[in-house]
Amino acid sequence: MNYPVWQLDAAGGGLLIAMMAVFHVYISHFAVGGGLFLVLTEMKGLRENNQSIVDYVRRHTKFFLLLTMVAGSMTGVGIWFTISLLNPAATSKLIHIFVFGWAIEWVFFAAEIISLFIYYYTFGRMDNRNHVIIGWVYFGCAWMSLFVINGIIDFMLTPGAWIDNNNFWSGYFNPTFWPALFFRSFLAFMLAGLYGFVTASNIKDSELRVKLVRYCALWLVAPFVLFLGSAWWYRAALPPELQTLIFERMPEVRPYLNGFSLFGPVLMLGGLIMAIRMPQAITRPIAYIMLLIGLLYMGSFEFIREAGRRPYIIRDHMYSTSILKQDIAKVQQNGLLIEAKWVKNRVIREETKLEAGREIFNILCLPCHSVGGPLNNIKKLTRNYTPQGLDAKISKIDSFSPYMPPFAGTEDERKALAHYIAFGLNNRKDRKEDVVIQPIPDDQVPEFDIEKSKYVLLAWSDMGMRSVTDASNTWMMLPPGVTLNAQLIERGETPDVIVDGVTITYEIEENFINPAQRVAFWRNAAVLYNREVEANTGLTGNGLSGTMVPEQEWFSATLLPVFPYTIDNRYIPYPTFTLTARNSDNEIIAATKAASPSATEIACQYCHGGLWKMDDRAGISDVTAKNVLETHDRISGTNLQGMVENGMPVLCNRCHADSSQDAAGNKEQLNLSAAIHGFHANFLAGRGAAFCVLCHPSESGGATRAYRDIHRSLGLNCTYCHGEIEDHAISLLKGELANGKSRAAELLQHIKPANFASVDDVEPRQPWINEPDCLNCHVDFQIPEVDTTFNRWTDGEENLYRNRTDESGRIRCAACHSSPHAVYPAENPYNENRDSIQPLQYQDEPFPIGSNFNCKVCHTIDMEEEMHHGNMLREFRNQ
Amino acid sequence: MDPSVLVPKPDALPICWGWFQILLIITLFLHIILMNVMLGTGIIAFVNLFRSNGSATPLSRNISGKLPFAIAFTVNFGIAPLLFVQVLYGNFLYASSVLMANFWLSVIGLLIASYYLAYIFNYNYNSLKSGRILLLGFSVTSMLLIGFLMSNNFTMMQRPDVWVRYFEKPTGLLLNLADPTLFPRYFHFITAAIAIGGLSIALYYEYLHKKGDESAQEKVQYGCNWFGYATIVNYGFGFWFFGTLPAHVHNINTLTGTLIALFLLTAITLGGFAIVFSLRGQVMPTLYTVLMTIFLMILIRDLVRVAYLKPFFSLSDLTVVPQYSPFILFLIFFIGGLALVGWMLKLAWNALDNEEVQS
Repeated sequence: MNYPVWQLDAAGGGLLIAMMAVFHVYISHFAVGGGLFLVLTEMKGLRENNQSIVDYVRRHTKFFLLLTMVAGSMTGVGIWFTISLLNPAATSKLIHIFVFGWAIEWVFFAAEIISLFIYYYTFGRMDNRNHVIIGWVYFGCAWMSLFVINGIIDFMLTPGAWIDNNNFWSGYFNPTFWPALFFRSFLAFMLAGLYGFVTASNIKDSELRVKLVRYCALWLVAPFVLFLGSAWWYRAALPPELQTLIFERMPEVRPYLNGFSLFGPVLMLGGLIMAIRMPQAITRPIAYIMLLIGLLYMGSFEFIREAGRRPYIIRDHMYSTSILKQDIAKVQQNGLLIEAKWVKNRVIREETKLEAGREIFNILCLPCHSVGGPLNNIKKLTRNYTPQGLDAKISKIDSFSPYMPPFAGTEDERKALAHYIAFGLNNRKDRKEDVVIQPIPDDQVPEFDIEKSKYVLLAWSDMGMRSVTDASNTWMMLPPGVTLNAQLIERGETPDVIVDGVTITYEIEENFINPAQRVAFWRNAAVLYNREVEANTGLTGNGLSGTMVPEQEWFSATLLPVFPYTIDNRYIPYPTFTLTARNSDNEIIAATKAASPSATEIACQYCHGGLWKMDDRAGISDVTAKNVLETHDRISGTNLQGMVENGMPVLCNRCHADSSQDAAGNKEQLNLSAAIHGFHANFLAGRGAAFCVLCHPSESGGATRAYRDIHRSLGLNCTYCHGEIEDHAISLLKGELANGKSRAAELLQHIKPANFASVDDVEPRQPWINEPDCLNCHVDFQIPEVDTTFNRWTDGEENLYRNRTDESGRIRCAACHSSPHAVYPAENPYNENRDSIQPLQYQDEPFPIGSNFNCKVCHTIDMEEEMHHGNMLREFRNQ
Repeated sequence: MDPSVLVPKPDALPICWGWFQILLIITLFLHIILMNVMLGTGIIAFVNLFRSNGSATPLSRNISGKLPFAIAFTVNFGIAPLLFVQVLYGNFLYASSVLMANFWLSVIGLLIASYYLAYIFNYNYNSLKSGRILLLGFSVTSMLLIGFLMSNNFTMMQRPDVWVRYFEKPTGLLLNLADPTLFPRYFHFITAAIAIGGLSIALYYEYLHKKGDESAQEKVQYGCNWFGYATIVNYGFGFWFFGTLPAHVHNINTLTGTLIALFLLTAITLGGFAIVFSLRGQVMPTLYTVLMTIFLMILIRDLVRVAYLKPFFSLSDLTVVPQYSPFILFLIFFIGGLALVGWMLKLAWNALDNEEVQS
């Protein structure tokens, strides 16, 4: 932020420091351990009076000198150069804190160089005793330079008390200082043996070669147990949240953890093999291979240590983005493009959005993400996201990815960043206009004679908006299942509700028959539901035509397997049913039509990538569905992808209870609604109804537009009754908390209420059962004085609007008013009258049955007194 | 764009800036001298080989044996001033380093190449034929390139007014070629190195001469001549360099300007003496006067930087959050280190000296 950013692409993400540092560290630890190796081996040679060993030491010293003095020390300077270029702010910070640490290290370096030169060039020319002392001086100085740099490296990961007291010594002798020192020292001794193999295996005399190779094997193998012990100590010295982060929460780190666990024993095995007497032609190549494995071993450790520090460069103090932790709030408030110095686009304009996005990317993302390179390639990680999806993800990326920093910028800057990544890097071609809905012909309204007809047949689907997750090859969350209800009213001055002696049949319109030909649901149903489900029948055995079942005062046909795909593969989410009432003589006494909403427009692909499956507007493609599971596996530690690969698509409600599907779940997981809202609320917060419609098919420019009733026309959006997703999620999570599910608390901690001072103010609820009550606003059926009703729920299912009846207890509210979200007057996006068929049929007006003084519809005469419910004898208010 | 907007905020110092300034000057002085010996002897050896068409000469053989040492110590003593300049001027230096990032990082590669080439040159000296010229040539060229990149960075760091070029090319590929001081400054440094290279040759052979080697005398004059003539040429580069400096830098109405004028006049005078001494073959007087000259030049260089940066920054702006104990500890280790090194050198000297006495 303070400094210019070196704009890299494929070499970004820290690749340069990774290469420079791993290379340097591998040689420099050898420079330490090898120092001890040299002097001890010389002493061994002198002690055993074996000049050939001493000669070996001299040759090994030449190799040692050429390797450590040039490649070793120059790459040490190289690290310094590299960090100054990749993160000058952090480098400046460290230099200003630890300048005298480095100055002390330099003293030891100088002494190291001089002692090594002396050691080599006076070999055989200085008396043995002094020569050995010079060797010890070299090792002492080398180890001390390790001692000194160790403090600074460990400080970056565990700054300890320095965070509070800014004291050099607290920062220096920080929590991981001592374990890391031992860890690195033992590693250095092991490396001495590893490098020793290279020179020892080159000895021509086979006796000496075997002897010294075995000696090197001892150096490699003997410290291993102590090395592991210090590794254990190192891990234990990490703060608990850091241990969780590194060993459980970082998918990126897992291959390196595996590498570290694997290569150690491999090296030990290799060491033991090298101890076997073998010809040089075998020992030499093995020595080089072992050296390579050692590099991978050490590299794995260093990668773990570096990655584990994320999102910080100096833990708890400075993020990898060079922004100080204490400055994040200020930057979020004022804007990154204002606070940063080296920025060209201080203001984001449409024409400079890509450029501004690149500048934001350079500061906030490039430190860890390459563009098209091997380290955390941003293109690969974001390829699935639409720009809006990316914006949503970035907004709360630190909640579930603790190695990511909170976004340091304003909303506009976040959008510009998302815009840049999506369009500038990933070349996306996302749809920018509304879905074009091809209108269908108006429905033919069935006949009704207000004077002569004897019956009124009312029909409605239980839900005004019914979503189906058409992804059954991979997972099934919401199965097809529209429940149709009907009531037959015998007209007269005192009308009667008829249930006995009549049959009501239903039949879906021809365009939608035989969905089994167009969807995979029935191919997967057996595996999903553990039982056979006959093609084109629903989960309660009903087909798309049949006879309704009478109960109490109404008829119903449950869970009809309606799919919104026509025979010619168009997406029309409102297939109509024709219902026919017949008397005991099989004569038709009444008929009507009702729309059955069934939508597969669920935009998981917004964040999870992939394309629409059907008609470029609906359905969840296999790619999208698999990506969803990939995320679920990664964050929740499941193996759902594995199940799918074994031919077993996943039924979400097997683990996540769903009362609307009579699924009990597995008692440990949150119920489906709490889980899915609770998780997604993190990323989709702060944007009100605009984000409800990503999953619920009500986008006003979408292909379904399922929220289509009078309330929408009056300007109320989803949040007026259901709350913003944050509050919605909190109420569900609190409901689960009351059920003793601790996972709810984990999800709750990241969500801030949108309209409440605290989470405590939100009332818990169970999904599908505790819902907004119309009467919360329409108090006593009067004109509402408020238009929002979040936080007051129905007590139980029987109080839900869709289940309630009028004062008489015999007529369902929905019979006259239609399904929730489609209450009359409703507008269907596909034609003029699909959601008003019955009102038009019975009273030539699209309003609720009997409104506008139309009691005649059932009563055949005008009524003077109100029944059914209060305030109904008046002009319909919203004409 | 007002360039001061781009100047990064510096971090706080643990002790008063004056200490760092002293450390910087002293360690830079040592580094420059070592670098001059390394580069100067390398160039002279190269010319030497050139003149002999690549066949071995005693001088080039001698230098080849010492070049790896010279490189090692030059780098080691380069670390210290790099550390201290980052403490005092890091906010400028990091910015300019990023602007030329690719080039700056290539210094490491050039350094490793030059160092290994010097070793190969040394170890294979006897068996090489005309390959000597190539090897040494590449090694020395790498050093020259490093020097050029150093000049770029250290001139660019004091020019926040050119930093705005970053926005046209943020990929780390900028240099400071348009700066009128760059080339005269660079040539001035290189020519000085050649001069000191010559002087160090003279010193070495003077030492041998004192130990009884008569044939060494002509080499002493050889070295002194290199010094003298190179320094004469360097006066030209020096005046050119001075002429390209912006007027406000050496404005004697300012304290820095006055000091610069004072030091410069003294250095020019001392330098003149050094030339005379050298051409007369008087090695030690040359050494003393030139060391003083170089020290003054280091001071002038620093003052020039202060003047350049005055519109943006002065060292007294830096906040100090005092913590003296690490400094004290460093001084203790430093003195201890000196003692240790001194003792080791004595041991080595005795071992090698004895050998010569015995043989």
